[in-house]
Amino acid sequence: MLDANRIAPGSVLHADVCVVGAGPAGIALALTLAERGIKVLLLESGHLQPNAATQALYAGEVADAALHSPPDTYRHRLLGGASAMWGGRCMPFDALDFETRPQVPLSGWPISYDDVLPYYPAANEWAEAGRFAYDSAEALPGVPPMLAGFDRAQVLSSGLERFSCPTHFGQRYAARLQVAAGVRVVLGANCTALHLAPDGASLAGLSVRSLQGAHWRVSARHTVLASGGLECARLLLASQDVQAAGVGNAYDMVGRHYMCHIAGNVGLLQVKGKPSAVRHGYEVSADGIYCRRRLQVAPTEQRRLGLGNAVARLHFSRITDPAHQSGVLSGLYLARKFISYEYAKRLQDGDVSLKRYAQHVLNVATDPLDTAAFLAHWLRRRTLASRKFPSVILRNRSNRFSLEVHGEQFPRPQSRVTLSERVDALGMPRLRVDWRYGQDDIESVRRTLDVMAHAFEASHTAQLSYQSQTLEEDLLRFGAYGGHHLGTTRMGSDPRSSVVNSDCQVHGVRNLFVASSAVFATSSQANPTLTLLALSLRLADTLAARLAVPTALEIKPVTPPTSIEPIDVNDALTHRSNTNNASNTNSSEVTESA
Amino acid sequence: MPENTPLKVLVLGASGYIGQRLMKRLDASGWALATGAARHVPPSASGAPQARWLALDNRDGAALRTALQGQDAVVNCVAGDAASIAQGAHTLAQAALSCKRPPRWVHLSSQSVYGPASGCVNEDAPLNASLGWYGRAKCAAEDAVQAYAADSHGHAGNVRAQAGAVILRPGCVYGAGSQLWVGRVGRCLAARRLGDLGVAGDGYSNLVHTDDVCSAVLAALRLPLTGRQAAPAFNLAAPDSPRWNRYFIDLALAIGATPVDRLRHQIKLDAWLAGPPLKVAHILLRKLGIQTAALPDPLPPALLRLWQQHMLLDGSAAVHDLGLRYTPYAQGLAESAAWFAQAHAKPTGAQGVRGRA
Repeated sequence: MLDANRIAPGSVLHADVCVVGAGPAGIALALTLAERGIKVLLLESGHLQPNAATQALYAGEVADAALHSPPDTYRHRLLGGASAMWGGRCMPFDALDFETRPQVPLSGWPISYDDVLPYYPAANEWAEAGRFAYDSAEALPGVPPMLAGFDRAQVLSSGLERFSCPTHFGQRYAARLQVAAGVRVVLGANCTALHLAPDGASLAGLSVRSLQGAHWRVSARHTVLASGGLECARLLLASQDVQAAGVGNAYDMVGRHYMCHIAGNVGLLQVKGKPSAVRHGYEVSADGIYCRRRLQVAPTEQRRLGLGNAVARLHFSRITDPAHQSGVLSGLYLARKFISYEYAKRLQDGDVSLKRYAQHVLNVATDPLDTAAFLAHWLRRRTLASRKFPSVILRNRSNRFSLEVHGEQFPRPQSRVTLSERVDALGMPRLRVDWRYGQDDIESVRRTLDVMAHAFEASHTAQLSYQSQTLEEDLLRFGAYGGHHLGTTRMGSDPRSSVVNSDCQVHGVRNLFVASSAVFATSSQANPTLTLLALSLRLADTLAARLAVPTALEIKPVTPPTSIEPIDVNDALTHRSNTNNASNTNSSEVTESA
Repeated sequence: MPENTPLKVLVLGASGYIGQRLMKRLDASGWALATGAARHVPPSASGAPQARWLALDNRDGAALRTALQGQDAVVNCVAGDAASIAQGAHTLAQAALSCKRPPRWVHLSSQSVYGPASGCVNEDAPLNASLGWYGRAKCAAEDAVQAYAADSHGHAGNVRAQAGAVILRPGCVYGAGSQLWVGRVGRCLAARRLGDLGVAGDGYSNLVHTDDVCSAVLAALRLPLTGRQAAPAFNLAAPDSPRWNRYFIDLALAIGATPVDRLRHQIKLDAWLAGPPLKVAHILLRKLGIQTAALPDPLPPALLRLWQQHMLLDGSAAVHDLGLRYTPYAQGLAESAAWFAQAHAKPTGAQGVRGRA
């Protein structure tokens, strides 16, 4: 791994493929390409450890702070990207997510589930989420159902979520990146601009800067943006030297259709019978993976009733309300200042009066056994474990649950990210996030809950009630679901309504691709990482195929922007130099780090 | 000499895992007549009815010279301690050179001659003896083979087996009966001492099936070496052999050692604290003639190094030059798991899943 500052200013680095961003997508893509003998330059803005100045490059604005987290949260600028703090929930999309559905405006991908399916098993392996088995019958044979007696065709309860360790891709795959013959990782390397060829039909190169002032270029046969759902759009928009609106933005599509998920704890589910007949927590599959069942309206019913896709998990009641009388939950509430922003966010609402504090303290004091047992379990299975217990699960003695809903958000053009007037330390315009949702998003969840309530009632196993008038408030209490940044370079077959084509290639720019959840045309019920990985592995196939046909890939000579003096071109990937001349700024050699 | 006269092959270390399989393969070949040599002739030697057996210490030069009389070829499968490997190869070289018609020598070396190499490693990679006694001994043995190849160059050799030598460098040899890579691994999986090791198990397993090693030996015995002074070397590793974690998880699932645990610190403690005393206990018990089956298998620190070594052994030259067709991983795994289940008939605590944590 090289440091960006060790590359002589003005150098031009060459590669078959330049990947911008070493998060899960970038790392999986780069290593997969390298296994096929393709030379890859992997640029990462951060280093191995977090750094405040680097992280600050993410800072930006939000139109409504109540609706969206600051842009420098949920994102991590270091090797491994946001996998440094993700929750690890790995779920594939459903087949219907790719379909054109009348009930979801602008739905329909130019690819189908079957196009992505072959890549999911490998995606599971990259994420260390075990086998690609997402049905209880297959993954948890012999384990009792989530809810005894609840077996309805309308609402499925056999679907699974599988959990990654959660794997920090930077740490997990650092050794592979070190030894892979075809990959050169450059740390501290911020791509600040994409340079189109004069005709705009191909990418001629890209500019790279470090916070310490290094400035050099990359010329690659293909370039892949893998810098995250927000940053990919920012880079395209900010690259205006040939096309004033930015790269791939001829139809003002870049940054639009920004989606997260609609999520929140809602309702009261009162299950009948014994608490032991409910298995709402984590099971461990034979391959050692934490798995959890969830509720989902069957695809046929979604189509019939015109619903968006959503899932619901059996959850405990609102942590912030001490009425739950749980010492564990109150302990979490009291300890929220010691929990990272991303994970403490849902502990931050409402009343912070002394009385409420006192009630929480009382809960802890009167529930010492449960609290101690929880802490011991957490220490053993979470803190000290390498495969971590995914989240807080409480023994439920009352059989009263809330539903933790995670639902699709419909794509809408006015939900978008744009460039701010302000710039970051490298001179790049900052991002402005204007996330919007609509009543159709809320109504879809409402009708989904109604279907579930009906199914519970019909099965005589449980009763679901929720307050219709506060549903929107319950779902939007913490704004957009954090960390799921989708749709800003959406995939489609028509350049007038999308940014990338079915190959994840930016429309009209034959050697520029996006490996990011930014390409998601719709958001699904699923967390994005697994599908992001699958699409990245699919892109590796696409690139390998294109690179196997050299005559079709010749790109025109690089035309450097005027700010960069043309120099001798050195190939950092093929010319390894043992000379230690990194400090010699006149040198055009690219040296390797020690 | 008539064409149908069998090729006489002396197999040194014939009582070992590979040696015994090789004896049967030579016996079944229809063109070889094998003589098995080992310090202790195994009771199962009768499994190869056509073969002869003799008791032999491979470091005894005089005995080796006698044993080599009339042999067209010798296959060196000797395992064991450093002296048996390194000094044994040196002694064999001298004994073979003293033969009127020096035999073809097929030598089973190891991937360990590449030391701590990483990345894709083919046969041109330099040898590196820096990783412990085993690698040093294997490198020294290869030196002896090469010296023999050079010195025997120009000798007529035998009509059916030209003089000279061929070196085979297998990765980890598995399959039914493999105590090292199936038995030991399976027992540790069942005891929850092994599982998914994360970064610590991310190295390449370079698994190669015993049958493939034997096939390579058979091909090497008849490989034309005209004009070659140096012994050609061939890596042996199936192209689809996975990284160690994958193998551990696959084997655990196949033998029912589930759920597979993710291990981090435990494996280090196991190797560094329990490894050395267990190893000593195994050696002592064996010297006393006592069965070691009741003792847990030692997992020495060297194994931990191996499991995280990102060395991908390129075994493709054996395909091109020896005509080797590697056993598919899925087939080798299934066969290995079936053998393990049979050999460890006592249930291993198999269960489909573990209950709610």
